[in-house]
Amino acid sequence: MSDPAVAVRGLTKIFPVPLHRQSIVAVRDLDLRVEPGEVYGLLGPNGSGKSTTLKIILGLVSPTRGRTEIFGRDSRLVESRQAVGFLPENPYFYKFLTGEETLRFFGRLCGLTGVRLKNRINELLDLVGLTKARKRRLGTYSKGMLQRIGLAQALIHDPRLVVLDEPTAGVDPAGSREIRDLILDLRRRGITVLLSSHLLAQAQEICDRVGILADGILVREGHLQELIAIENQTEFVIADASAQLVDQIESFINRSNAKLITRQKSTTTLERLFLDATTKRPES
Amino acid sequence: MIRSLLVLAVLIALGTLKLPVERDLAALHRQEHLRGVEFNLDLREKLGQLGFIAALSGFRAIVADGLFIQAHVAWERTEWGRVLLLFRHVTTLQPRAILFWDMAAWHMAWNASVAAMNDQTQPRLALRVKAQREYFALGKDFLERGIKNNPDRPQLYEALARLYKEKYKDHEHASEFFAKAAALPGAPTFNRRFSAYELSYCEGREREAYDRLRQLYNEGEKERLPTLITRLKFLEDKLGIPQDQKIPDKKR
Amino acid sequence: MSNETTALARHRAFSFSRVLAITVNTLTELTRLKVFYVLLVFALLLIGSSMFMAQFTFQQEFQILKDISLGAMSIFTSLLAIVATARLIPQDIEDRTVYTILAKPVPRFEYLLGKIAGVLLLLAISTFVMGAAFLLVLYVREQAMLHATLRHMSGAPGEQVDDAVRAIRSSALNIDIFPGIVIIYVKACLLAALTLFVSTFATTNIFTIVVMAFIYFIGHLQATAREYWLQEHSSGWITRVLLAGVALLFPDLQAFNLVDDIVAGTAISLTLFFKTAVLGIFYTTIYTLLAAFVFYGKEL
Repeated sequence: MSDPAVAVRGLTKIFPVPLHRQSIVAVRDLDLRVEPGEVYGLLGPNGSGKSTTLKIILGLVSPTRGRTEIFGRDSRLVESRQAVGFLPENPYFYKFLTGEETLRFFGRLCGLTGVRLKNRINELLDLVGLTKARKRRLGTYSKGMLQRIGLAQALIHDPRLVVLDEPTAGVDPAGSREIRDLILDLRRRGITVLLSSHLLAQAQEICDRVGILADGILVREGHLQELIAIENQTEFVIADASAQLVDQIESFINRSNAKLITRQKSTTTLERLFLDATTKRPES
Repeated sequence: MIRSLLVLAVLIALGTLKLPVERDLAALHRQEHLRGVEFNLDLREKLGQLGFIAALSGFRAIVADGLFIQAHVAWERTEWGRVLLLFRHVTTLQPRAILFWDMAAWHMAWNASVAAMNDQTQPRLALRVKAQREYFALGKDFLERGIKNNPDRPQLYEALARLYKEKYKDHEHASEFFAKAAALPGAPTFNRRFSAYELSYCEGREREAYDRLRQLYNEGEKERLPTLITRLKFLEDKLGIPQDQKIPDKKR
Repeated sequence: MSNETTALARHRAFSFSRVLAITVNTLTELTRLKVFYVLLVFALLLIGSSMFMAQFTFQQEFQILKDISLGAMSIFTSLLAIVATARLIPQDIEDRTVYTILAKPVPRFEYLLGKIAGVLLLLAISTFVMGAAFLLVLYVREQAMLHATLRHMSGAPGEQVDDAVRAIRSSALNIDIFPGIVIIYVKACLLAALTLFVSTFATTNIFTIVVMAFIYFIGHLQATAREYWLQEHSSGWITRVLLAGVALLFPDLQAFNLVDDIVAGTAISLTLFFKTAVLGIFYTTIYTLLAAFVFYGKEL
């Protein structure tokens, strides 16, 4: 299929403010394309128009101008949502349902029934690691568990595109790592992922391409590696090198035209340190 | 904005369409004796603002019951003026409830009248009799208005007949109203008999009474009750019915 | 879970099973919110009132029992209709569950239809349970009364006993009560649909409930306003516009109060029953459609 997973053309959204002359421009002349199979990150500070853009793509909000499509189908058509799964920011769902009932409910909405639905529910509970919590009401779930059941419901009808709004907001490092792994798993299966985030470190780990929104305008877009590569610099990370070897390398550099910028011991990330220190199996 | 205006337009358009339907329904209600209540300013003053609003909002029956229970309490305390006032509200709110008219009349003509007659604080007999007559009249008034609101049901005709019979000793009217009750569907069978009994006491209408009693007698064993036989024999003697036409003596 | 299994059933413009899923979910939600406690209050009221009525004659007792029970049924179903419906949409928007649902291939109309169907089902169950409880109490009291009367009148002639039994029977259950109860339900449905409509442009459920309380009272006065508007031509234009507004925009709720008169003994013709029911269904449908229309234009 040659249609892009998501196509946004000339999108503008203006929210009128009741009883006020001026209105709020949430998104201005946005053009965006997400290719099938890639993980695309829509980045930007709070209030930059990320959520609005996602909602327009999902047909929840109507655009003031412009057009959005999912796999070539206009977002305003209900059919377009057959190919997409959505996880909103901080989803609540129905507290009075159990994890299993939640998935059954959303499965039915997508036209799944019977054995097929049952199998799908088991498969997804297993995928997100909530098999043991399936009979518990969502009111008793932790934030990370809610996020995972949210991801499961987004995947219930096996969509080709998954839209995630701030998937790791408010989730602890272990939880957010699990979600990150799940996203990478989706990419391996060929599912397109469109996510919004303001946590740049995480976006950097998983996104193929990113777009940066500021005040409703797309200010940067491109492949992550290209965007953040510093053309005239190169990094080495060497293990088990003797002090003598390192000195030799440095003097070699100094004798050339190149300039050494930093020389330092490698550090682990704080995240890794945290995970090593707190490692235990996450609740499930 | 356009959407809201459109919704308003649809509501008004449909409102014009439904108007005749609702009026038609209201006419049907009146035709079937529903909604016999005319809410007026007077009633609002009587019920108080809250009770009035409640009565208007579909709690008419419950407000009426509440006032009825209050009237019951007032009766236990023998506050006759209050009983009268409360029953006027109750019957205004629920004019189709036979029970309330009947109770109102009974309290006035039977209870309040007796209390007035036995009033220790009033030494003059003439005034006590006058008060008693006034309570009879109030009872009669309740029943007459009740009948006007419920011309199709026998109970209040019967109650009015009893009032004439027992309180006014007016056998002619008593007979008339027992007969009216008997003519309506669902009336107990004794009404017809009672009407004839009462007629038998009326001077100058003995022949008519005799014919009706005789007719009942001829209908079979079921109607041949002791009182009927006594009244029939009384009339046979009074009218000088020939021996061969008289009913046989029943020796038990 | 290969990518090739996306061959889901072709999307249908209207799917009964989707609506059913939302209906069942709404009913589950309302049930687990323990709205059925209202029914418990109803039962207590029934028992309480029948205990308190020992001092009355049987006609009085039956009349009051029926008035209170049917009056309570009317107010509880109306209250349930308004309170249960008012929270459905704003709560879903606040919790963002509406996003997850509408991001699935679910048309907005189906979502609303499922919601209102859930409420109507809840109201049907409640009306049925309350009606059954009421009839049971009435039956038990009637039997007790018959028993006592027959014992008292054991020596009386058959005809008198028959009259007494007939009097008790006729003042206890009156067959017209059943259409009356159906109309109570229809009125509650109308109120639920109207609440749904109001809640589509309301932002909080408190707002919806307050607006509905006003509509409830004005709706009962609509008939008076309507007749006044159509018959009196002497009043000033402001009054007339106001009266016209009430007559045109509000439903005549008084038309649905049949039980007051039924309890008092008035028989209801089939024509009146059907016309009232059809009017109620018409209103329920219109308000649901209008709610859907407003909801389609709503920015979530």
